[in-house]
Amino acid sequence: MNDLCADIGYRSINHIGEQLCGDHVDVVESDENSTVIVLADGLGSGVKASILSTLTSKIISTMMAAGLSLEECVETIAATLPVCSVRGVAYSTFTIIHIRNNEYAELIQYDNPQVIMFRDNKAYDYPKKEMNIGGKTIYKSTIRLRENDVFIAMSDGCPHAGIGTAYNFGWKIEDITDFMEVMVMANYTAKTLSTILVDEVNKLYGEKPGDDATACVVRIRKRVPMNMLFGPPRNPDDANRMMSLFFSKRGKHIVCGGTTSSIAAKWLKKPLVASLDYDPGSDVPPTATIEGVDLVTEGVITVNKVVEYARDYISENKDYAKWNFKKDGASQICSLLFEEATDINFYVGRAVNPAHQNPDLPINFNIKMNLVEELSDTLKKMGKRIKVSYF
Amino acid sequence: MKVTVCIGSSCHIKGSRPIVETFQKLISENNLGDKLELSGTFCMNKCQEGVCVSVDDKLYSVSPQTAESFFNDNIKAKLQ
Repeated sequence: MNDLCADIGYRSINHIGEQLCGDHVDVVESDENSTVIVLADGLGSGVKASILSTLTSKIISTMMAAGLSLEECVETIAATLPVCSVRGVAYSTFTIIHIRNNEYAELIQYDNPQVIMFRDNKAYDYPKKEMNIGGKTIYKSTIRLRENDVFIAMSDGCPHAGIGTAYNFGWKIEDITDFMEVMVMANYTAKTLSTILVDEVNKLYGEKPGDDATACVVRIRKRVPMNMLFGPPRNPDDANRMMSLFFSKRGKHIVCGGTTSSIAAKWLKKPLVASLDYDPGSDVPPTATIEGVDLVTEGVITVNKVVEYARDYISENKDYAKWNFKKDGASQICSLLFEEATDINFYVGRAVNPAHQNPDLPINFNIKMNLVEELSDTLKKMGKRIKVSYF
Repeated sequence: MKVTVCIGSSCHIKGSRPIVETFQKLISENNLGDKLELSGTFCMNKCQEGVCVSVDDKLYSVSPQTAESFFNDNIKAKLQ
């Protein structure tokens, strides 16, 4: 066992005019430390391609996660995929990244652009073994994982970007590698790296993609625990218990809420100092500081903003530039939770703030509890391990 | 003199920010920067009466509309 884990993120754009994407990424966790990631690109575009790639990625990921051999997976796909009436073939290319025990990565590549790998921020040429399964030439590699290894799998829509317009022969893999090297160095999350790549592809297509394009990024990183306190306990007598549990946990500590932070400050016997520095581009209240706490913010308004950013992050991820560079409370929480943390403990107090029960105010107890639920749901979708304790 | 404005959730929604900005503007216009300290706080436990502003530990309720007259009557007047 080691303390590594895989940060996985992907993003697709559709062929112009199509509502469905012909590429599909499927991620299945076979156990706590093993994951199968499949990127499949169906023949053509639109509905047909979407069905082919969805079936391919689902079948492979489910079978691999259940421990079946690669040969059986490939044979099953060949026997199951519907045959295209126009072209007479059933066809979907695929890339499999199988993370085993967070110790090894097994790459299995069939006809998609070659997976780009970075080690220590430099492009890394990994060994490949050629195999023949059912008449298909498949490349297999087994790589022992290290911290900061990054894998980038793509559909051919990425290297084809800009053919005939920006570039004569599309965006060459070597150029994509150079482009991404800088981004990998900047330590972005897997989701953001895939977004940056696909956004660039979209730009090269002149925002009119001539093919579905997908990038899937896997970043190997150390597990980082994080703790967040939100709301005072329902029973004031529980405050000490809540604080001692919260502050005894390993990792950074975030405290959200006015009353909550004064309880934390009292428990730590340190002053709570609120700043008056409003971030010009933001509508959340300023942050505060308590010695011994990594971040102190206001409660509902700030967390509401975090949930907004979280929703965007797991879908289109168009707001990452906002929270990545801003310094208001919500943006700082986003950086800590989305980027830095892998395991998050929430300590949620269920006290009802009488001032919030005013019908004129857009905040009340139910909203607060929903915020916690939605935040932990979205964080789970980002691949984080979440624990919520209520007080 | 110490002036503290609550920037907690409830007061924030009721307009802490414009009040802080009004105060900051008036302080610099009247060159009062070295005579008073403007700071923030998270909660004064009087959320219903927000926006809560304290002047040397005396509590007031201020709204963005009354911020300027409040400053002139309760802060500037006392400093002169």
